[in-house]
Amino acid sequence: MSVNRIVVFAISLLFSAAILSAEEIAREPYNDRYCMTCHGVDGRGNEGVQAPRLAGMPAWYLQRQLKNFRAGIRGTHPQDIEGLAMQPMAAKLSDESIADIVAWVGSWETIAAERTIEGDAARGRNFYSACALCHGDNAEGNEAMGAPALAGQNDWYLLTQLKNFMAGYRGSHAEDIYGAQMRSMVNTLRNEAGIINVVAYINTLPR
Amino acid sequence: MSKPVSRREFLNLIGASGGSAAVLTATSALGLLPTTAAAASPDLLNPGSSKRQVAILGAGISGLTAAYELTKAGYDCVVLEASHRAGGRIFTVRSGDLIDEIGNRQYCEFDDEPHMYFNAGAARIPSTHRNLLHYTKELGVELEIFINECKNAYVQDDNMLGGKPIRNIEYTTHARGFMADIMAKSLSGIELDEPFTEQESETLLGMIRSFGDLNEDNLYTGSLRAGYASGGFLHHGVQKDMIAFRDLLKTDLGRLLLNANEGDTGPVLLQPKGGMDMTIQAFVANLGDRVKFRSAVTAVQVKEQGVDVVYEQEGVRHKIEADYCFNCIPTHLMAGIEHNFPAEYVSAMKYVRRGEAFKAAFQAKTRFWEDEDIYGGGSWLNSPIQEIWYPPHGIHKAKGVILGAYDYGGRAGLMNLSQEERIELCLAEGEKVHPDYRSLVEKPITIAWHRMNHMLGCSARWSRNRGQGWTHEEETMYHTLQKPVNGRHYFIGDQISMHSAWQESAIMSAHWALADMDKQARATA
Ligand SMILES: Cc1cc2nc3c(=O)[nH]c(=O)nc-3n(C[C@H](O)[C@H](O)[C@H](O)COP(=O)(O)OP(=O)(O)OC[C@H]3O[C@@H](n4cnc5c(N)ncnc54)[C@H](O)[C@@H]3O)c2cc1C
Ligand code: HEC
Ligand code: HEC
Repeated sequence: MSVNRIVVFAISLLFSAAILSAEEIAREPYNDRYCMTCHGVDGRGNEGVQAPRLAGMPAWYLQRQLKNFRAGIRGTHPQDIEGLAMQPMAAKLSDESIADIVAWVGSWETIAAERTIEGDAARGRNFYSACALCHGDNAEGNEAMGAPALAGQNDWYLLTQLKNFMAGYRGSHAEDIYGAQMRSMVNTLRNEAGIINVVAYINTLPR
Repeated sequence: MSKPVSRREFLNLIGASGGSAAVLTATSALGLLPTTAAAASPDLLNPGSSKRQVAILGAGISGLTAAYELTKAGYDCVVLEASHRAGGRIFTVRSGDLIDEIGNRQYCEFDDEPHMYFNAGAARIPSTHRNLLHYTKELGVELEIFINECKNAYVQDDNMLGGKPIRNIEYTTHARGFMADIMAKSLSGIELDEPFTEQESETLLGMIRSFGDLNEDNLYTGSLRAGYASGGFLHHGVQKDMIAFRDLLKTDLGRLLLNANEGDTGPVLLQPKGGMDMTIQAFVANLGDRVKFRSAVTAVQVKEQGVDVVYEQEGVRHKIEADYCFNCIPTHLMAGIEHNFPAEYVSAMKYVRRGEAFKAAFQAKTRFWEDEDIYGGGSWLNSPIQEIWYPPHGIHKAKGVILGAYDYGGRAGLMNLSQEERIELCLAEGEKVHPDYRSLVEKPITIAWHRMNHMLGCSARWSRNRGQGWTHEEETMYHTLQKPVNGRHYFIGDQISMHSAWQESAIMSAHWALADMDKQARATA
C-alpha cells in the first residue's frame, strides 16, 4: 500500500518510547502498559475477555483496585474466575508503575459502555435507593464513601461483581475493607433477579 | 460389565451390513482420502488498477498466507501486526527472545546455537497437512522428521507401582498383551455363534495374537517386546518380569499412550529445520516492508465500498482506506476494538471461547536422555506437567532444549502459578522420571498461552459441550462469522475452521476467504 494513502489523523503522545530500529534494540523492550489487550482499545471494556471499561475511572478507585489485586486482597478467591485472570496482571506492578498507569488511564476519554442487559428497571429503581447512599443518586460514584461510579460501566461486569459479592467471591478477604462494606449491602438485592433489575435501572441513568 | 454383543450387532460390526464401500465414500467426502491431486495455491485474478488495496490484520499464518497470495496476484497489501514479531501462535523461542506473557515477561537465556530453540506454540506438522507442506516447499523451508514417540521414554504416575517410572514399551507391551488375551478368549465365545467363517476367525485370531504377543495357547505370559532383563545380543535375551495388569490399571495414562500416535498426530510428523517459525520467516522475507510490526489495530469500519482501518504505531494513530480486509485477530480481542460489525456477527464473536495451553522448557546441560536410550518422543506423567519432550533434533550434540511441561487445558494446575512456582513444579515432577533432573536442567522459560499478549488463548473453542460435537446454533454462528461483511471484511485464522489449533486450518480458512473474494472480483471484472 502506498505511503500517501496512510493518513495520520491523530497523534497521541501516550508513549515516550524512543524510536529505535530493530538492529539497535538488542532485546525487545517492554513496559507495563499492556492493559488494552484485555481492557480494549482506550480502555473501552471487552466482553470477549470479561475485562471492564477503565476509561473514565477516577484515580483513587483505580489505584485502590490495582493495589488490592497486587496484594491478593481481590482476585484470589478460587471461584472468582475473572478476578483470578486480573490478579496476576497486577502482581508484579511496582508503585511507580501503578502511578504511571493511573496517570495514563486518566488520559483516556470516558466512553460509556454499550447496554447489553435488559430487566425490570422499575423494580430495580426501588432497590437502587439503598445503593444511592454510597454510589450517588445517578450512580456517579462518591469518593468520600469509597464507592465507585456505576453509571456507564459495562453492565455485564456489574452483573458479575454483584453475583461475586453475593456469593462472597469478592469482598470476603479479611483486609478488603471497602469490599466488605459493599458486600454487606448486596443482600438487599435478594437474588439474581434483583441483581439484573438493579443493573437494568443503572443502565437508564445518565452517563 | 456391559451386556454381551448380540449376533446382529456383531454382523454389523464386521461389515455384513453398511459395508466397506459406504465407509469409503464417507471418508473421501471428509477429505481424508485424496479425491484429486493436491492443488494448494488459490488461482486469483489480477485486480488491475482498481480495488487492489488490501489490509491484513494480524501476521498469523493465515494473514501471511493471504498477503502472500494476494501480493502474487498483484494486490497492494499491508499486514498490521500488534506484536514485535510475526507468527502469533507459531513461536520459536531462541536466545535473547522476549516472551511477552502479560504479567510474566521473560527473556530466553538459552545458548545461542541453531539447535537450541523451543517451539512454544505449534510444534508438529502432520504429513496430511498438504497446504502447509505446499508452502514449506514453495518457500524453500527445509523439513525434517519430528519424532512424536520414543518407546523407551517413561510413564509415571504416583498411583502406579509406588510412583516408579516404567518405560513406555513396558507399559504398552503388557497392556496390549492383556487386552489381546481377553480378546482371544471372547473370540472363542463368539465362534460358537459362528458369525465368522473358519478362515476369518483364524485370520482375526492371528492378528490378536500378534497384537498382544500371545503364546500358542493364546495366553499372555509376558513378552520380549518389553525389553530384555539381560542379554539379547551375544547371549539369548532374558525376558523381563511381567507387571500385573491390575498395577497398570492404577493409572489413566494408558488412554493417552494408546492414542498419542493416532489421528492428527499419527506418524509421520514433520518439523522445519531450525524452528517452526522458519515458514513465518520465509513469508515475512517474501513480503518485506509490507509487514508492519508494533502496529496494533484500534478500529475497523466496514463501508459500502471498502474497509477503513486505524492502527497505532509508536503512539501515533494512522488510518488506511482499503478495498478489502482479511482479519486474523482473535475474535475475543476484536470484541474490544472499535468496529461496526453487524449484530449477529458480534454475538458470534462473543460466543467463541478461548482455550488454555501451557508449555515450559529448559536448557539441558547434557543430553542425558540419550544415555537412557531415548531419542525424541516424550515421557507421560499423571501430573500438571503431563509431558516431557526430548528434542528430535540436535542428536548427540552437547546440549538440547527439552519441553518440561505441556498442559493443553483441563488441568489448569500450572497456569495460575507464579513463574517461580511453575518452575519448581516442573522440577519436582521431572525428578520423578529423571532423578537428577534438577541439576541437569537450567534457564527455564514458561508460556501460558491464555496470557500471551495479543493472543490470550491457545485456540478458539466453538463447541461448548465437549465431546458431543457442535450444536446447530454453533454451526450457524460459525457460518455467520465465516461470511464476509459487505463482501469486504473477512475473518480468517484457525478460529474460522471446524478444526482449530492447527496451522493447516488457519491456511485453509485464508484460502476459503480468498476464493470467495476472487469469485466476487471475477463477477464484477
Ligand atoms: C501450544 C500450542 C500448540 C500447537 N501445536 C500445533 C501443532 O503441533 N501443529 C499445528 O499445525 N498447529 C499447532 N497449533 C496451532 C497453530 O499454532 C495455530 O492454529 C495457528 O498458528 C493459528 O494461526 P492464525 O493465522 O489463526 O493466527 P494467530 O497465530 O492467532 O495470529 C493472530 C495474530 O494477530 C495479532 N494481533 C492480535 N491483536 C492485534 C491487533 N489489535 N492488531 C494487529 N494484530 C493483532 C497477534 O499478535 C497474532 O500475530 C498450536 C497452538 C498452540 C497455542
Ligand atoms: C489478561 C487480561 C487482563 C489484563 C492484561 C489486564 N486486566 Fe484488568 N481486569 C481483567 C479482568 C478479566 C477484570 C475483571 C475482574 C472481575 O470481574 O472481577 C479486570 C479488572 C480490572 C479492574 C477492576 C475494575 C473495577 O471496576 O473494579 C481494574 C482497575 C483493572 N482491571 C485494571 C487493569 C490495568 C490498569 C491493567 C494494565 C496494567 C490491566 N487491568 C490488565 C483482565 C485483565
Ligand atoms: C455502604 C456503602 C455502599 C452501599 C450502600 C452500596 N455500595 Fe456498592 N460499593 C461500595 C464500595 C465501597 C465499593 C468498592 C469496593 C472495593 O473497593 O472493592 C462498591 C462497589 C460496588 C460495585 C463494584 C464496582 C466495580 O467497579 O467493581 C458494584 C457493582 C456495586 N458496588 C453496586 C452496588 C449496588 C447495586 C448497591 C445497592 C444494592 C450498592 N452497591 C450499595 C459501597 C457501597
